Amino acid sequence: MAASEPSRYLARSLPRTLVPSSRHQALCWRRNASDQASSKASSAGLSDLESASSLTTTVSEDIIKSFQPIERARARKTQLPRSRYQFRSPKYDRGPLHPHRPPPPSDPSSRLFVPGPFSLPRVEQTFQSTVASDILTLLYVHNPPGFKPPVKAPRLRSWDDSSPYHKNRPLRGPRGGDVLRLLRHPITFNNIPKLERITLHSYVKQAASEHSGWLHVAGMAVQAISNVRVQTYKSKASVSQWHISPGRDSVAVKAELRGENMHHFFGKLVDVVMPKIKDWEGVKGSSGDSSGNITFGIEGKDMALFPEIEANYDMYPPKMLPGCHITIHTSATTDKDARMLLSALGVPFYGKLVN
Amino acid sequence: MSLSTPLRRSAATTARVQTSTTFICSQCRHATLLRRPKRPYQFTQLITLTDGSTFTHRTSSPAPIYRTTRDTRNALLWNPSSNKLKNIEDDEAGRLAAFRAKFGRIWDANTPVNEDADNKDGESAESKKAAAAAEAAAAQEEEDNLLDLISSFGQEEQGSKKKN
Repeated sequence: MAASEPSRYLARSLPRTLVPSSRHQALCWRRNASDQASSKASSAGLSDLESASSLTTTVSEDIIKSFQPIERARARKTQLPRSRYQFRSPKYDRGPLHPHRPPPPSDPSSRLFVPGPFSLPRVEQTFQSTVASDILTLLYVHNPPGFKPPVKAPRLRSWDDSSPYHKNRPLRGPRGGDVLRLLRHPITFNNIPKLERITLHSYVKQAASEHSGWLHVAGMAVQAISNVRVQTYKSKASVSQWHISPGRDSVAVKAELRGENMHHFFGKLVDVVMPKIKDWEGVKGSSGDSSGNITFGIEGKDMALFPEIEANYDMYPPKMLPGCHITIHTSATTDKDARMLLSALGVPFYGKLVN
Repeated sequence: MSLSTPLRRSAATTARVQTSTTFICSQCRHATLLRRPKRPYQFTQLITLTDGSTFTHRTSSPAPIYRTTRDTRNALLWNPSSNKLKNIEDDEAGRLAAFRAKFGRIWDANTPVNEDADNKDGESAESKKAAAAAEAAAAQEEEDNLLDLISSFGQEEQGSKKKN
């Protein structure tokens, strides 16, 4: 700050001193403290300036001659150490103002970089080759040329100004409830519903009342079937029968699958595990959060049907094998579209389909 | 212990208060450790479905090939129109099939005939004759079955000899 002050004053005062003023200085009786200070500073700053530019300094010929990087590299007998040619990301992120910033996670040199995908999953191929075009055909709505859709009422209603207290209020919620549902845009080639992510969640109540082994087994089982490292979560709710108080014990395990992992998991769930579940009717038709995400659960004994757990079933204590909730997040905005996508990919639904 | 529990609780409540959805753009002075993401090792596994079709997937199971016994190709839920799967018996281990291959189908229970006979017994005294006739018929059938067994035993032997 202190170093930049003279230059700032200089920039202001230079034009004033150089431009000849029309007013005569002697006739000006008014005197400002700021004028005085700036003129003083300008004179001090000008005296500090160097007369010659630093760019005009000449370098001696022998220094220029001796600078030959290509020759030097050729003459090198051994390879440079890795640190001289390979960028290494800093271990810590020290904030946006630090000069040494880590590269973005998409950069292969980043510490957060996750390589892949390494395979083209079967589910994704099926989706691209058949399911996408089927859904596009099924959801096509033909509008004749010149058709104009009727204008809908605004989703958030305004207040009728019957009361003076209505002024500056936020808009009223939709009619018939406070929930503002997602808009459903017409399905075109660029918004065909597709799988976005799958969440596996397992709540183990015994982890609080008994030992933490329950949580370890649940984490291992969920990681084995999903190929994703799990995260543990603490309870938010208080359940006195299970001796669970909020924020005290880790009771749940979650894995979030995206991309390649998600497609492989979905494929093996539909093709291998679901047919083997005893007396299973399918996913209940009323499941879903009415915005295109569908959840169903599988029990602990059905978790053993996954090929990964079947491979070394003895590793897991059979009583401690947890059930889990599987949430399939799709890019559809209504449950109807999501259900259409999932049933096209092979998930059976039963009962009344609620949208 | 009595001291530690309220402390913990207060810490938990403050933690919950701090989590908010609004992004507060304040300078953060501490350095954040960039943890390398943990990725469990994955193998490539070939899954063979019951109809012989195969596909590969990435899995944490080290077995190179996985053969399914029950999948979408032979489950009734995925093939509702298949008559073959509708009246399938509980023969997942293949024991019943093995028994039939060895001894034929003559030991199959003739359940519908017996049920009819029972119904007739319960109805009235008049139908006793019919019931007796049915029983006789059933006994006859049983005998036939036994005769069948004997005759088929020999025939099978002959057939196998002919084949050989």
